[in-house]
This record gives sequence, C-alpha cells and structure tokens, in this order.
Amino acid sequence: MKYKPLTLAVGALLIVLFVLLLVMFQVRQSEVAIVTTFGKPTRPITNPGPYFKWPWPIQKVYKFDQRVRNFESQFTEDFTSDNNQLMTKVYVGWRITDPAEFFPRFAGGSVTKAEQALDDMLAKAKTAVVGNHPLSDFVNADPQRIKFDAIESEMRSYLESELSTNDYGFKIVFLGIKRLGFPQSVATKVFDRMTSERNFLSSQLENEGKEQAAKIRSKADRDAAEMLSSADAEATRIVGRGYAEAADTLRTFQQNPELANFLLRLSALEDSLKENSTLVFDQRQPPFDLFPWVATNSVSR
Amino acid sequence: MSPENPSPKRSASGTPLDSGSQALAEALRGSFAIVKFVMGVLLAVFLFSGFFTVGPQEKGIVLRFGRPVGEGDNAWLGPGPHWAWPYPIDEVIKVPVSELQEVRSTVGWYHQTAAEAAMNTPPPNTPSLSPVTDGYVITGDENIVHAKAILRYRIIDPSRCVFEFTGNTNGGFGLAGVSNAVQNALNNALVYTTAHYSVDNMLTYEKAKFNEDVQRRVNELVARENLGVAVDQCDVESIEPGALKDAFEKVTGATQDRNKLLLAAHQSAFATLSTAAAEAASITNRAESSRSNLVASISGDADLFQRVLPRYQANRDLFIQQRSVETIGHILTNLNDKIFLPTTRDGKPIELRLLLNRKPPKSKTTTGQ
Repeated sequence: MKYKPLTLAVGALLIVLFVLLLVMFQVRQSEVAIVTTFGKPTRPITNPGPYFKWPWPIQKVYKFDQRVRNFESQFTEDFTSDNNQLMTKVYVGWRITDPAEFFPRFAGGSVTKAEQALDDMLAKAKTAVVGNHPLSDFVNADPQRIKFDAIESEMRSYLESELSTNDYGFKIVFLGIKRLGFPQSVATKVFDRMTSERNFLSSQLENEGKEQAAKIRSKADRDAAEMLSSADAEATRIVGRGYAEAADTLRTFQQNPELANFLLRLSALEDSLKENSTLVFDQRQPPFDLFPWVATNSVSR
Repeated sequence: MSPENPSPKRSASGTPLDSGSQALAEALRGSFAIVKFVMGVLLAVFLFSGFFTVGPQEKGIVLRFGRPVGEGDNAWLGPGPHWAWPYPIDEVIKVPVSELQEVRSTVGWYHQTAAEAAMNTPPPNTPSLSPVTDGYVITGDENIVHAKAILRYRIIDPSRCVFEFTGNTNGGFGLAGVSNAVQNALNNALVYTTAHYSVDNMLTYEKAKFNEDVQRRVNELVARENLGVAVDQCDVESIEPGALKDAFEKVTGATQDRNKLLLAAHQSAFATLSTAAAEAASITNRAESSRSNLVASISGDADLFQRVLPRYQANRDLFIQQRSVETIGHILTNLNDKIFLPTTRDGKPIELRLLLNRKPPKSKTTTGQ
C-alpha cells in the first residue's frame, strides 16, 4: 500500500510536534528557570522565550515564578533597648533572582522552604534591631526623634547582609513594619496610664480655661485703662496746643492790660450769671443807683 | 476536493479491482472522508480557539512563547475581539485593570464577632487588648487607639502589576499580588503615621491632616516599591479604645467648657475694649473741641479788644461805666430772680434770709408747649 503525500505530511508534522514537545520548553515573562542535566543544575534561564533542551531523562526543566512575593513574619515579642516589651510584625516583598542558587539551596526550589528560611531570618533581624532601639524610636510624636524609617532600613540591611553571605538566590525588594503592639499585660498598664492621663488632662483643661479667661479679662481691663489714660494725656496735649495757638493772640492784650482785665471780668461776670441765678442788689450798685427813693422790696420775675 | 481521486470508480493506481476489494476500497474511502472531515473540523476549532474577547473593564496581553507581544503599553489590548495562536504558542492574559480597586487595612481595628459585625456594634469593653485577636495602633505618645482605612486605587502600569507581583497563586496572572502589596503599604502607612502623632492630634485636633499623612505615606511606598498603581482616595477612621471612651469624652467635655469660658472672656474683653475706645475717642474729641473753643474765644476776645481799645483810650471812665451797666443789663434780662434791696434811711443794709433750696427750672420743652 502506498502513502499519499497529505498523509505523509500530516504524519511528519505530528512527529515533529512530538519531538518539539520533548525538546522545547518556554519560559514566561514572569518566570525564571533552571535546566538540570541528570539531576544537576546546569543552565539557568532568566529571560522569557522558547528554549531547547535534551529530552527527559537527560535534561529536566524547573521553572520558578520570579515575581515579587509577599511574606509576613510572625507577630512576636522582643525587648527594646530600654527594656520594654514590643511586638512587631514585618512584611517583606521578596523575589527569586538566581535559579542556579535557589534551586539547589531549597530542596528542588521549594518556595515553602525558602519562606521558612526567611521567617527565621526575619525573627533574628527583628530581635536584633528592636533590641538596638528604645521604644521612643518606634513611636514618637516628635518628628525629630522618631526613627521608624531607620528601623525599617536596619531590618532590611540585616536581611540583606544575611542574604549576601549565604547564596539563597533570592532578594528582598521591600520591607515594612505591618504591626506594632504590646503583650496583653503591658496593654493593661497602658490603659491605666491612659486613663490617668485623661483625668489629668481634663482637670488641667478646666484650670487652664479659668486661668486664661481671667488673663484675657484682666488684660482687657488693663488695656482699657491704658487707652483711657493715654486719651487723657492726649486731651491735655490737645488743650495745651490750643493754648500755644492762642499765645500769639494773647499778645494783643499786652497793648492795654487794664482794659483786657476789665473785659475779662465783664465776660466772666456775664458767663457766671447766665441762667438760674438769683442776684441780690442794693441801691449803690449801678444802674440801681438811679432809684434812690425806693424803700420797699421789689421782686420781679 | 483532492486531485488524487479523479474518479470514485477507480483506485489510486488505476488498476481495476475485483468486487470484494472494490467494496473494501469504497468503505475505506468513506471512512477516510469522515476522518478528513473530522480533521477539518478539528483544524477549524483549533484556529477558532484563538479568538478571544477583552471585556470593557479589562485589558489583555498575548504572551508568545512566554514573551509579551508588543512593547510596553502598546502590548496591552483594549476591549473587543482579538486573535492569538492557540496554546502552546500563545497565551492570553486578561486583567480587570479599568476597575477601581479597593483594599482595606487589616491591622488596627478591634475584633468583632460575626454577630457584632452584622449588627455593626463594637465588642464589649475590656480592660485590655489581646495582641492575638485585637488590632490596634500605637500613637507617638504611647497610647493605644484603633484605626482603619479604605484605599481606592487604579492600575496605571498593568505590566508591572501583572509581571512583577504574584499573589502566590501557582504562577497565574492577576492583580492579587499587587493588591497584597498595596494592602501592606496601607497597613504600614497606618502604623507609621500613628507612630508619628500624639493621641489628641490624631483623634481630635489634626484629624484631616492625619488622613492626608496616611495617604502621603501610601503614595510614598507605592512610588518606592514601584507598584504601578495610583492612589485615588484614602479614608481613615480612628477611635479611642472602648474601655477608655468615658475618659476621652471627659476630656472632650472639658475642652468644650474651656472653649466656652474663653469665648465668654474674649467677648467681655472685646466689650471692655470697645467701650474704652469709645470713651477715649470722646475724651480726645472733647479736648479737641475745647481747644478750638479756646482758640476761637480768645481770638474773639482779641477782636473785641482791638475794636474797643480806641474808645477806651479816648475816655476810660465813661467806657468802663458804659460797659458795666450794659453788662449788668444783659445779666438782668437773663436772670431768674432779681432781688433789689434798697438801703434804709440810716444807710444800713436791709437783712435778707434765703432758703437755699431752689426749685428745678422748668424744662424747655414744657415751656415750649
């Protein structure tokens, strides 16, 4: 029986596909891979694309997700340098960078094993760094004294030095503190302290309010008195200025002081008897000296 | 369809066959036709399986042999139908990037049982908090408070989100990894910002600034960790521990009382000062008017003096008498009471007794009417 060309072509294609499946593999954008030859890692691959290998059982491919993974430490308790118990929990972003190191290090590239190692490292890093700082470096309302950022970067550099001395094949991309806390017994004491602080604060506010109100009032009184006395001084000055202005005019009266005096007396007399006055005369007073014959009281209104 | 089979009656070699062989050949041809048909259908299905649709909220990307097709943002396909080679040549990834993403902080808030969460009531007050179950944050002055935050963000760099972060989902592609990273950035921002604030500033005086600072820290971390997202909104809620609610309210009450006291003091101070200012103004005004009166009256006197001086010089005694009488005349016309006491014959003055208890003068309005 003879084969037709189409059948031949299809058969050939199938064989080619089968062989390709045996010898080809692809590494995705998100992955790195390691090719092992008879179980020994021989060729790390860190760029995505299609690759060739010898078919099983000669070569085998192990692929790892090389993207950033999130890992979180336990929420554990350590002593600060001033002997406070502080609980910390840290998150890290880590990624596999070197499959040739990562694969043999963690039993066939087990991510779980790597995370265990990371967990141990984090616990050590936390104990070391927390022990280097007083509690006031972690929490402090004074922006000059808080060292939150420094603590995080110390933890990170602790991990990084661990990673560089041991060939783990992964690196830390970021690290941050996720939680801070106190053991329950300490939290109870904090609550007690907070309660007494609140009580102190409310009585302080009360007294402060009274004191400040009194201050405001007395300051206003003082300012008002000052204002009035300076107004009085100003008034004196103004009147004085009036006298100064009048001084030129007063010189006019020098021409005849006697007349000036007389006129002044006249006008003073007139002013003082303007209204509501009762005047009693006798007949020697001009112009009443004009009627010397009158001998009876005469009251006119 | 095939040129190899020009006639159904002849085999491929063209040799005539006996009836048995012919029947077999017929049957074989028939089954070949079925196989061909099935192969054609399979091929069509294979090719058609390459069609995919990107939804309106999604973006898609094609990985050819593991590498993205296209460069940068251009690699991402918008909504609509698209075609790619079937697996294992191409692989299609679709992610819902246009949707507004949302994460909630997971540290800092008190623990609620399911029943309490359903009723939206806080748990019963306890004199302490357990680090295992209860979340809280610590303020800069070492107070314990509760805080939580909701963060809304958008994906701006899908390549980074999808290819740089994994949510531990066995190599799958999605936004879980970046969502984790954003969530921890939010948790960190909450812890970090609280650690920088005193309890009163955080809960009372600088609430808005606290919220802003949390968002600023998230933005900082998003930029530092290059998460490929943009923060739209961050809402923080913070509250004192339930057990200390009364103590905190007492302080709030005291603050309000103090503010009331201060307000009253300020008001009375203002009143005092404005009264004083008015009085001061009237003092200076009075001085001002008495000054001008003084100047005017002196200059009036001087005028008079100048006018009468020649007459006075001409006859001094006459002038004095004239003016005296004239003035007394004026005075007398204005006086209320004028009492004239003539002397007795022997020249002694008459005695007069006065009761100094003057009736008040009638007011002018009454006289006018």
